[in-house]
Amino acid sequence: MTLFHFGNCFALAYFPYFIAYKCSGLSEYNAFWRCVQAGATYLFVQLCKMLFLATFFPTWEGGAGVYDFVGEFMKATVDLADLLGLHLVMSRNAGKGEYKIMVAAMGWATAELVMSRCLPLWVGARGIEFDWKYIQMSFDSNISLIHYIGMAAVVWMFTRYDLPKTFRLPVTVLLALCVYKSFLMELFVHVFLLGSWTVLLVKAVLTGGISLCSLFLFVTLVHSN
Amino acid sequence: MFEEASEVFDNMFKSSFPLTFIVFIPAVLILVSPLPAEAAHEFTVYRMQQYDLQGQPYGTRNAILNTEARTVEAEDIVQQFMELEPEMLATETIVPVYFAMEDDELLSIYTQTLTSSSSQGSLSAAEVLLHTATANGFQMVTSGAQSKAVSDWAITSLEGRLAGVGGEDLPTIVVVAHYDSFGIAPWLSYGADSNGSGVSMLLELARLFSKLYTYKRTHAGYNLLFFVSGGGKFNYQGTKRWLEDNLDHTDSSLLQDNVAFVLCLDTLGNGDSLHLHVSKPPKEGSPQFSLLKELELVAASQYPEVKFSMVHKKINLADDMLAWEHERFGIRRLPAFTLSHLPSHRLAQRFSIMDVRSVSPSSRHGAGEPPAGPHVDVKKLSRNTKLVAEALARVIYNLTEKGAPGDLQIFTEQMQVQDEQQSAVVDWLTAQPRAAQLVDKDSSVVSTLEYHLGHYLKDVKRHYVKADKRDPEFVFYDQLKQTMNAYRVKPAIFDLLLAVCIAAYLGMMYLAIQNFGVFYSVVRRVTQPKTKAN
Repeated sequence: MTLFHFGNCFALAYFPYFIAYKCSGLSEYNAFWRCVQAGATYLFVQLCKMLFLATFFPTWEGGAGVYDFVGEFMKATVDLADLLGLHLVMSRNAGKGEYKIMVAAMGWATAELVMSRCLPLWVGARGIEFDWKYIQMSFDSNISLIHYIGMAAVVWMFTRYDLPKTFRLPVTVLLALCVYKSFLMELFVHVFLLGSWTVLLVKAVLTGGISLCSLFLFVTLVHSN
Repeated sequence: MFEEASEVFDNMFKSSFPLTFIVFIPAVLILVSPLPAEAAHEFTVYRMQQYDLQGQPYGTRNAILNTEARTVEAEDIVQQFMELEPEMLATETIVPVYFAMEDDELLSIYTQTLTSSSSQGSLSAAEVLLHTATANGFQMVTSGAQSKAVSDWAITSLEGRLAGVGGEDLPTIVVVAHYDSFGIAPWLSYGADSNGSGVSMLLELARLFSKLYTYKRTHAGYNLLFFVSGGGKFNYQGTKRWLEDNLDHTDSSLLQDNVAFVLCLDTLGNGDSLHLHVSKPPKEGSPQFSLLKELELVAASQYPEVKFSMVHKKINLADDMLAWEHERFGIRRLPAFTLSHLPSHRLAQRFSIMDVRSVSPSSRHGAGEPPAGPHVDVKKLSRNTKLVAEALARVIYNLTEKGAPGDLQIFTEQMQVQDEQQSAVVDWLTAQPRAAQLVDKDSSVVSTLEYHLGHYLKDVKRHYVKADKRDPEFVFYDQLKQTMNAYRVKPAIFDLLLAVCIAAYLGMMYLAIQNFGVFYSVVRRVTQPKTKAN
């Protein structure tokens, strides 16, 4: 609904990234170029995933209302490539754990914002027709930021050699949750037939939970020495 | 961060020039591309009439619409609408007027707009403000171009004949009916009674008399000329030009020699009365007079429920429009009359979109009740057809002079008037709008009528009328059917409100992220006691 609405949605989506970048002290480490590299890795990983999905997964020919649980589960498994990508980014950056995590997560999330949300916002939010889904999309990008930070932290912890035995299980569980989060969300929507704002709320709660657990584990790991 | 960003862009520019083009050109293209339309509801709308007749403009002058939706309180009774139609035509409007068929989506748009515009006066100021800020408005946009005059539009008429037996100088009886319809919106004017019933009756008469004329014993000494005219609702343009061509520009024509009378059929599909409209009362002893008498006789003896009367109205050349079709013939000094169940030519149901075959099943009327507006009752139409056929036969075969009683019925058994056929014809005619602006010479209505007439009559010919270039009698305009989009819009205040909320949210986020360190130390302190206790 006009450029102003587009401006609103864009601000809502992008400013938290900006604020996170500034306040986490990344600017002092000249991390901008590294974030762009992380973004490029994101693009590459998405491309590979798409090629893999197109080649090996048949199209779903069932009815419109039936949800293909097994098929979607398999497709979600391909999202493991995201983890590999994050790991790749982090291993190429030398520095403290927090620095690695933040750089990888910021770059990854910004690339996702630009690729999957900027274009719909530009095309849709500028039109005459008003729809709440653009505001919801912007909120969703905020939630994604937190999600990717949590995911990067969990990946980093998983690859540490000094990870205590007791932590292995929670970290693996969290990892699985991160990968299958979108699958779980779609499951909820189909089973409980949630409205769009409720979906957003559930997503926020789920992401918040995962991130809080990973934060706890991270703090314990880093400060237990 | 911007210094680093500018550094990165500098590097990009210096290193590979073509690469930057590849990056920037799509961005520029996306920026300047037009917006695709995505509407809450897309529906077809039909524009009000727009035409010029004898230099006088009628109807709405514009076709493009892009405004906010507002509602008007109105009571929609069929009769009120019918009376409203000619008034709307007479008013010149700048904003185009569109009609649409009601469906659930449109109804919900209407109720939403109604609540938002009617609550202005009854609530407190704060509530009104909140309401204005959050209400759903609608923007109506049409997708067509501006309307312009259609050039070279040909109105088609059809004629056919049954030649009488014996000799050269036989008298001719002409039966005329116009096939086009008229209403406030051309695409919505189906004209069931006016004049689908007239055409149906004409076709049935053609069928019956052609059957009679095939047998030598019943082949009469009258020529029968049938004329289905176009442009009838626009001051009988088809008839006018046909008369000019036949009387002025041809050497010999059936119309020139010996015309007994011209019978025009106009709106005969309902009602329990029949009126014979004349411009001059028929003289005693003329064929006109005998038809008048025969009609009275048949009505009195065979159909007592029908009230038959003659209505005398002088031709008034000062009027914008002629009253009935027979006046065209009267101006050229041919004896003519119009038969109709309507007592006056000014009645709104001759020019209304409410004149439909039957109302849709979703209407408020029960299944057994007749529709509220003008419509065709096939039983009455067949009864009227039989009445006219009997009267015509009595004139053609001179039955009264030969002593046949008033209740002698000719058209019975194999010669019966076929109700199903008449009903089918009316159904077919009302299946599409027949406004004169929509029926061109390639139209299926014309070709089907031509084919149908060809079954019964000989020498079926088409006749075209095109408006004169320098002083056109009629001008039609296009863009009569459009697709309209209704976009859900929010008022500008809503944007500001949203901006304020987003600013507050971002402020909170900023504070949260700034003080993340506090949260971090809390978590640290929570996890510490586990190790300290060891």
